[in-house]
Order: sequence, then structure tokens, then C-alpha cells
Amino acid sequence: MSSAPQPIDPQPIDPQTVDVDRPMMEVDIVCAGFGPATGGFLTTLTRAWSENPADPAFESKVAPGMPLQVMCYERADDLAAGVSGVVTRGEGIRTSFPALNPAEIPMAAAVKEERVFYLLDPIGARRSALLRFGDIFLGLGRKSWAKDHAFELPWTPAFLHKRGGMVFSIGQFNQWVGSRLMAGGLAQIWPGTPVSGPIFDGNNGKGKRTVLGLRLADQGVDRHGIPAEGYMPGMDVRARLTVVGDGPVGAVGQKLDEQFGLPAGHARREWALGMKMVIELPEDSALEAGTVWHTFGFPEPEIFGFLYVHPERLVSVGIFVPSWLGNPQRTAYRYLQHYVQHPLLWRHLQHGTMRSWGAKSLEESGKRGEPFLTGDGFARIGEGSGSTNMLTGSGVDEAWTTGVQLGEAVLELLRADNPFTQENLAATYEARRRASRVERGAREAENARNGFQGGFVRGLVGMALAGLTGGRLALPAKIPPAPKQIRRFATYIAGGLTVQQAAKVALDCARPLHDALMSARGWPEIAFDERLLVTQQDALLMGGKVQAIPGFADHVVFLDRQRCIACQEKTCIAMCSGQALTLGADGAPDFEREKCVHCGACLWNCAQSPDGERGNIEFVAGSGGLHSAEN
Amino acid sequence: MESILVLTHADESGAVLSKGSLESVTAGRELAARLGAELTIGIVAKDASSAAAQVAGAAKRLLGVQGEAFAQARFASDAAACEALCRAAQATIVLAPHSSRFARVMAAVAHRVGGLIDTHITAIGGAANLEATRWFYRQRIEAVVSREKRPWFLLLDAGTHPAFAGEAAPAQAEEIAIAVELPALRTEVKGTRAPKQGAQTIRPDAKLLFVAGAGWTKKQPDGQIHVEDAGELILKFLGASGASLGSSKSLVDQGGEGNSVLPFLTHLNQVGQTGSTPRHAKGLSTCCHGEEPHVVGWRFVGERRAVSLDPNCGWTRGKADVVYVADAFEVMKRVNALLEDAASGS
Amino acid sequence: MSNAFHIVVCAGIVPDPLQTLEPTTGPSGPGIKNEMVLPAVLDPWAASALFEAASLAAKNPGSPQSPSKVWLVSLGPKAKLQQVMMSVAQKVSFELVPVDGPIGGFPDAQATAAVLADAIAAIPGLDRERMLLFGGWESATRGAGVTLQLVGERLGIADQFQGVDQIELHEDGSFEVLERVEGGKHQVSVCAGVPAVLGWATGNLAEPRNNPQVGMANMRTIMPALQKAKTATLDGNGLHYVSVSLPKQQRTTRVEKNMNADEIAAELVAWIGAE
Repeated sequence: MSSAPQPIDPQPIDPQTVDVDRPMMEVDIVCAGFGPATGGFLTTLTRAWSENPADPAFESKVAPGMPLQVMCYERADDLAAGVSGVVTRGEGIRTSFPALNPAEIPMAAAVKEERVFYLLDPIGARRSALLRFGDIFLGLGRKSWAKDHAFELPWTPAFLHKRGGMVFSIGQFNQWVGSRLMAGGLAQIWPGTPVSGPIFDGNNGKGKRTVLGLRLADQGVDRHGIPAEGYMPGMDVRARLTVVGDGPVGAVGQKLDEQFGLPAGHARREWALGMKMVIELPEDSALEAGTVWHTFGFPEPEIFGFLYVHPERLVSVGIFVPSWLGNPQRTAYRYLQHYVQHPLLWRHLQHGTMRSWGAKSLEESGKRGEPFLTGDGFARIGEGSGSTNMLTGSGVDEAWTTGVQLGEAVLELLRADNPFTQENLAATYEARRRASRVERGAREAENARNGFQGGFVRGLVGMALAGLTGGRLALPAKIPPAPKQIRRFATYIAGGLTVQQAAKVALDCARPLHDALMSARGWPEIAFDERLLVTQQDALLMGGKVQAIPGFADHVVFLDRQRCIACQEKTCIAMCSGQALTLGADGAPDFEREKCVHCGACLWNCAQSPDGERGNIEFVAGSGGLHSAEN
Repeated sequence: MESILVLTHADESGAVLSKGSLESVTAGRELAARLGAELTIGIVAKDASSAAAQVAGAAKRLLGVQGEAFAQARFASDAAACEALCRAAQATIVLAPHSSRFARVMAAVAHRVGGLIDTHITAIGGAANLEATRWFYRQRIEAVVSREKRPWFLLLDAGTHPAFAGEAAPAQAEEIAIAVELPALRTEVKGTRAPKQGAQTIRPDAKLLFVAGAGWTKKQPDGQIHVEDAGELILKFLGASGASLGSSKSLVDQGGEGNSVLPFLTHLNQVGQTGSTPRHAKGLSTCCHGEEPHVVGWRFVGERRAVSLDPNCGWTRGKADVVYVADAFEVMKRVNALLEDAASGS
Repeated sequence: MSNAFHIVVCAGIVPDPLQTLEPTTGPSGPGIKNEMVLPAVLDPWAASALFEAASLAAKNPGSPQSPSKVWLVSLGPKAKLQQVMMSVAQKVSFELVPVDGPIGGFPDAQATAAVLADAIAAIPGLDRERMLLFGGWESATRGAGVTLQLVGERLGIADQFQGVDQIELHEDGSFEVLERVEGGKHQVSVCAGVPAVLGWATGNLAEPRNNPQVGMANMRTIMPALQKAKTATLDGNGLHYVSVSLPKQQRTTRVEKNMNADEIAAELVAWIGAE
């Protein structure tokens, strides 16, 4: 017998340990990631400064005589590269922009109509007995109150309502906020600049959490991070305050959690992948801008969906594939194609054209995944700080609001000339947040999704319970780590096929296993029409427009390739939004950076766990990603 | 009433008109016949008199600029020559080939004589109102334009018209030598240089375009990379088939990243959005996904076939006529063997 | 010796080449649907020109009294220019000369050239005797390859080169230029010295890394320049669009999954040989 093969890829170098002639720069405030949270933070700061630029509170401490030096680094190539179609009540955003007219922002519209549908399954054969019974029961009344294989809820639960809110594209919103900020002149926002991690204080005492700034990603390295032609070590940007708003899969947030842990009882175990298309509706479409539909029940009971209508006949249609969908070969793109073909939606979409497409991981633990919000020299805002409200399905406005809260806190500290210590940030930022509706909402939502670990029906009951009682009642739950939520192939039977049979189907048709399995489970083949129903690779080009500037290391790293080779589930490949992960010759996944949309799904769609909590895949700082402004 | 001037230039010999020039002569004759317009041919060459013999019967009027200065394709001298020809001809429509030589100067010439220019013209239509077809956004959008103002200069893309092939005759043109006042010439053309690495792989006149994609340098089924084999297979095929070599951007770009990449490929080979849009009767793509930014460079390639391991690659989506789902290494090995057999048998 | 150059780079902004483009007709003529919404980049050819300019200036810094300098002249909607500059400004040092105006490939090239030439003529401190006018030889929008040439002509520059992949300076101030010509070859020319126009193909330089310090230094001049950017209207020059269309070249594809390599090779050889 030969000995076990050695891993092919050398382990990447930890950028923190490379000792090189690294450039360094000092600023007052440095931010990681530009999204709604950082937008809210910088807007608050810029606005106060522009009202009185001479205010000594705004004098830089690192460049005396100059205004505050405020930098923000974003990995995407464009400020407009955020991925999300959003409906939001927008209370926080409207507080910042009281005169906001949605017409100013491309793709934004005021919410006009909101409906909730339970989608029956027009294809059949894959649902549980209980659901099938339910479907039959609802279907019986089809003529009277269910049409297009959908049952409309007679009322929209208050917790879901977005009345007075807006539909918009995060990409366009970020663009709009970003250009106002840049024109404002206080902050500089640099896209195309990934941050590899925080700079920790080597002298950290016990119980102290200190961050000294941010280290930018090395450039001119090979895919393993090893210096190559044109090597340029990432700069150290040291700052009095580091603002971490790099989202749920951001490198800085992850490293902070690794270093400091999470508060007692907190864990990040619930996730979902949001994937959507932006579709141009046919000219005779009856759907009006501002129309909002929420759906559940199809393509899998656990998959929620949405349709938001933007102005100019554009519509965002998408689904959320959650971690608690145990199927090890879950695959968002194929599900999305079936979703848009549901009769309720297809009626409006079938002559449409896909303009763009995108995907993003959502941190669904909410309050339960909240990290330490502050430390000496740093504060965390936005989705990565656990601000998303899982009950109302709202995250953008909450993220924005946490940014505003930090902005106000920073103004208070600057004006009082108080340092950005953990105590001071807790007393200003954390205190504001705790007293706000963001915190109230997060608490209400904290246990709202507990039931889903026990199945779809139980999940709905739990959600209704929490939603209707303001979070006072909820189902208890023990939520396993994300890798454990993935069922094993050995216990998972797909349409009666064994893995070997499915593998044969896949090989014979030269298609990915997950795709073959979907067909084997009774899902009809997709009839490509080259307009709306296109291959995943074509979608990547029609809307994805992945940018991968050469000279950066791979940002998806397999910790122990032997585990990957042994892994039967390979859910990472099935869930990879851009098909950037494919089965390699050695049996481990191959990663192609040029196709990665940075959705972060691989981070939590890994059935292997070296430490019992996290998966075998690291998602580190990377440049580029989806370059689509319509998302 | 329109009048037409076709501007032509000699090839490297200095005494024979370039193929593109002869194509423009055809276009000019067609247009003149359609509009009932007077046609003049202008020649820029070291030896315009000899070159004129090729088109002696093509137009009523032949004008020429000749001399040692016009042996070189150089902005200052060529612009002066074309300007002089335009002033002498006083035409309302000026047609010329979109060659590197004329593309370098013709906008400036148009400006000097108070005209306007459109380039990369693929067709000239219309009657009373002349209409020119050209592509925008790298062959993605086709537009037909017209202009009222004259003179209107149109540079014709290569291969859009057949080359004029009249019987050679001594030129009888009355004004064969136009005098040109040359500015001080500060540039000297030293000649041409082929890419450093070995054989010339770009053959605009080849019937077949062979495109190599990034797949040639990726891991093969044995888990290894076989760039040397790939290079050998491709060069052998080019030698045996006489095809022109194109490449996808992703393959050419690899050269800059320190990876081992096919040594004979340069950016000049790149076909597509940020590369060239060659004209060939047939195109064979290998190891390439057939993604849109690359395929826009195939706009003027007639029959298209592809060999790809991916049955869902872009080529299968209506971008090629035939797609073979197969390993290009294996296929090309056998293709080369067959071509070799055929060559030795004949 | 050290030459000091004043390099002016003309560069347009274009939709990211990977975007799906669709024409639309508005009151001012044809355009690209959602063009203001589509992500934009610096035109790829002009970007090569900018990187070559920066490299040339870095190798020939001149003297402290008379340093080499790079200006980037760009016509486009102010908001879009600002957006693109956030990426470009991190790569190399330059001073921006923005002109607020229409976007896209459909306006007339001679009108664009007139505006750019005026903007260049008005650059304070530009020594036109030391000028190298750079730009792309083509573009990802109109791709006519005439704008730069016309700017050079309007500025009275008598030595022009197009499809340039390389420039090599000589001690006496002359320089050798490689231009792309037919058949995958380069024409080699030697020019006695500046001023000259160089329309760049891809050149040989890799895209520079993003450097935050370069970005910060550039921003000190870019943002004020954008705020002061003059608005230009372009002359239509009687250019009329008869039609603008998006041709679909949808073929009926035969996908052969089950042929072996021998069969495929035989079929291909027959196809290659057929007339």
C-alpha cells in the first residue's frame, strides 16, 4: 500500500507573520468595507464636518493642521458592486436623508403593494407527507382562493410589512451614497483594495481587545500568497479608530472573532445564501414599480423567495437557501431557475430578459451571532456585527443605522476629545445601539427561526409565534454548527439513487453532481431560452462580470485537503454561486478565482470541520468579485 | 452630385498596390456606378507610375504621389501626400482602405481639407443619401450612419470587398504626378520586425483561424499541466494547416503573471473584446469557454467549430456551428497525424 | 542625461467590457441602455497609454526645476469620471483634467477631438514643445481610432504613431517606436524627438498594483479638478444614425458528445480542407 498522498497546495503564509519592508501610514479613522453600515457612518461624519469644517474636533491628530484623515477600503472594484435587491422600511436611511426622493437613486421606488404567497408545488414528488397533505388541502380550494399554484395570505403579518419603505438596489444605493461622500471631501473610499486583517496589539493584556489599524492585502503574490513578480506588501494603515463594516464573511471581522472569540452563548451557525436575478420585464408587463412579493413553500419548503419591482420595468427576483436545508447537494442557481418558473412568477417573467445576477451570504444568526461590538481602537457595525433582523427579514436599514450610531458616538468622543477606548466606545456607540430599535428588533427576532432546525412546518409556527408576540414566545432550539447542519450522503437518499448512481449520471452527462441529482430527484431539465434561462456560466457573464485582478492570492483556502478528498458531500461545490469550485483531479475542490463572486457560501457550506465548529474552508481577503452595478 | 476619390497605397515593394487598396478600388467603382459619380483613384507609392498600371482601366482619372519619401509609411509624408491628392481631386466622397498606413493619417487629412471621417466601414449602402455601416462597442452593436457634410472620408475594413483585378495596362492618366510640399521629416521608418518568439503565427489571409484558449495550460486529466505538449501540438497544426493563430485574453494574460505560457503567443494574437476581430472563412476554437467578450472577436469568422471538454460552454449556446465535447490534446494529436499523412501522401 | 516630458494622456471611460450592452435611442440620439448605471472602467487601450506614460515619466523624472509630468484628460459625465478615478488613481500618479460631457461611443469623434484639444491647450504649465500626446489607438466604445489623431492634428503635432506597443528613448532625445502593422508585425520608426502623438495598443506593461499612497496623493488634485470641471457640449457635425441594432448571431449548434478523438479529427480535417 502506498502512503497517503501529500497535500498538493502548500499552506498559505499568514500575512501577519511575514516580516518584510512593509509600508505604513497613519490616519485618524480607517474603515474596512464599504456597504450600508460604513455608508451610514461616513455620511454622519461627513455631514457634521461640512457643517463646520473649522471645528477643532475635526482636526487630525496624525496630520496636525489637516482635517481628520478618514480612509475606507473596499475589496470590490467599484463602490456599486454590492449585491442585493432590497426592500426596506428605510427608517434609518430616511432619518439621515429626510428629503430623500427615491427617483434620485437609479432603481429605487417607494413600496406600493405588498403581498405574501405560499407557493404550492407545481412539479410535485419531493415534499414531505405533511406538506403534500397541506398542498392538497390548499389545492382543493384552488378555484376559489388559490390560483397559479399559489395561495395568497389574506393579510401580511405586521412584522413583515415594509409600508412607507423603499425597493432599491444596494449597488445603486452604495454608488449614490459613495459619490456624495467623495464629493463631500472628508472621507476617501478606495475600491479594489482588500483588507487582509486587523493589526492587533502584541501587548494585549488579558481581557483587553485592542486593534491598531488594518493591514491591506499583499499584491504581486502567487495564488498561495507567496511573493512573486512585482511583489508589493500590503500597507499597514494604523488608525486611532478602526471601523469594521466588512460584512458577514469579511476577513477583518472573521479575524477579530478568531482572536477575541464571541461573547458567551453567542455563535454564528445560521446562514443563508441569497441569490437573485435582475430581470427586465416585457413591455406589456402589468407589474408596477414598488410591488413587493414575499413567497415561501417553493422550490423547497425551506426556501423563501421574493420579487421586488424597480422602476423602468426592472425586477429583482430571488431566493434564500438556508443552512438548515439539510440537503448536502443544495444548489442555489438551479433552485432559482425553478423558482422563476413557478406559475405565479412565470406569468410575469417568461418573456423577460436577465440583465444581471448575483449572490451573497446572509448572516442569519442575528443577535445570537453578535460579536464584541467594541474594543480599544475599534468598533463593529453592520451585518457582521449581528444587526440583521431575521424576523422582519431586514438588514440594510439596520446596518445603516448602526453606522449612524457609531458616527454619532465618534462625533461625541471627538468633541469631548476623548480617546477611542473600549470604555468610551461602549458608553457612546454601544449604549446608543442598545437603546435603539435595532436592538429591540434583534431581541424580538433572536429566537424567531429556532423552529426551522426541526423542519419547515415547525419553523413557520416558531416564526409566527415570535413575530406575533414581539419575540416573547418562541420555540426552543439547539442549533448545531453549520457543518453539522449538512446531512451526510450516507443518510440522504435522493430520489432513491445511491451516490454512485448519481455520480454515474453526472459523469455520463458531463455535468456537476448536484445538477444531476436535482434531475434525478424529479426536477425537470431547464429549457434554456438564452434570455432568462441560461447556464450558470452564461449568467456569470450576463450579470456576474467577475473581476479578479492578477497579483492577489486565492481567497478560498482549503485547510486540510485530505479532508476535502475524503468528503463525500462536497456541498461547497454544489453551493458555489459562480461555479468557481469544481471537482479537481485529486478529488479535492479546485478554486478558480476568476469565477468567484465573493458570496462566501463556501465558508458555511462545508460538511467537514477540523474543530467541530467551523468548516474546512477559509474565506480570506480577496480582491474583485462581481462587477455589476444593477445588483 | 457626388464625386469619388479612392485613395490607395503601395505595399512594401513600393510599386504594387496593397490588397486593401485594390478592395477599395472595387468599392469605389461599385459606388460610382450606383451614384453615377465621377471616380478618381489616387496613389501614394515610391513608384506610383508602376502601381497605376494595376488600376489603369479602373477609373477615368488617376492621380499619383511618388518618390523616395513615400516608400515609408510615415505620418508626416503620408498625410501631406493624401492631402495633396484630395485637394487635386476635389471629391465629395473619399474612400480608402483601413490599413495601418492610412488609418494613421486619414483623420488628420480629413481635418485638413475640412472634411469628416468615419472608419472601420464594412458596407456602403443608400443611394440618394449615402449610408455607411460600422460597428460600435467592439463589434457588439451595428450602426448605419449618414452625413450631410462633404467631403466625407470612409475607411473600409479589409475583406469587405473583393480586390480589383483589371488587366494591367500602362497608365494614361494625365496628372499622374502630383507635387507635394513635404514638411520637415523627423521620423524615419527602419523597417518591420516580427515578434521575437519564433515563427510568425498571425496570417490574416489564412482561410482558418485557430484559437487557443486558457484550457491548454490548465491541469489535464492526469492532474498535470502540459504546456510544452500544448505548444508543440499547436505549432505543428499551424505549420500543417497554414492557419492563423488567435488566442483568448485569459491565455495571453497568463504570460504576465510568471506562469509558464505558450512562448509564441503575444498580445497581438488576442482575439476578442480587447483584441482583434480578424476575418477568416473558418474558425476552430480549442480549450476556450466561448464567453461573450471573446466571441465578439469572431464577428467576421464564417463557419465556426469548437473542441471543448465542457458540454455547457458558451460555444454550444448558438455561438458555434459544431462543438465537439472532447479533449483537445487528443483531437489535435490525431488531426496533426492526419494532416501529416495527407502531406506525405500527396 | 534625464529627459523631462510633459505627457498628456487622453482617456475615455467605457462600460466594463464584460457588461451586456444594448442600444437605445433617446432624444439626443443613440446610446447604451442604462449606461449611467453600468459599471465603467478606463478604456483598456487608454489605460495602457496611461501606464506607459507613468512608466516613462518615472524612468525620466527630469529635474526638480523641470520635472516630467503626466496629465490625464478625460471627457465624460462628472459622476462617472469620479467613480472611475477611484480605481485608476490608485495605480499611477497623474493630474486629472476632466471635462464634464456626454458618455458613450455614439457622439461624433471630430467633436470629441475638438473638445479635448481645447482642454489640452488650456492646461496651465504644459510645455507643448516637450509634449508627448498619448491615448489609445482604438477604444471600447466607438473604436474609430481617429480621436487622438485629430487632437494631435489640432495641436499641430507632425509626428504621429498608432498601434504603439513600445517606445524606447535614445540619449540624443530621439526615440524608437514599434507600431502594429498588418500580419502581426511591428513597424519600427525612429523619431527625432518630441512633440509626438502615440496611440497605444496594449504595450508590454502589466497593470500597476493598487497603491493607497499614490491614490491619496492623486486625490488632492483630482477632487478639486472634478469640482471645477467645465461642461462641454459636442457638435453633432451632421452625423445621422440611420439605424442602431444589436445583431443576434444565433447559430444552430450541433453538439457532439459521443464521437471519439479519431472520428472528430477525421471530420475536422475534412472540414478544414473543404472549400
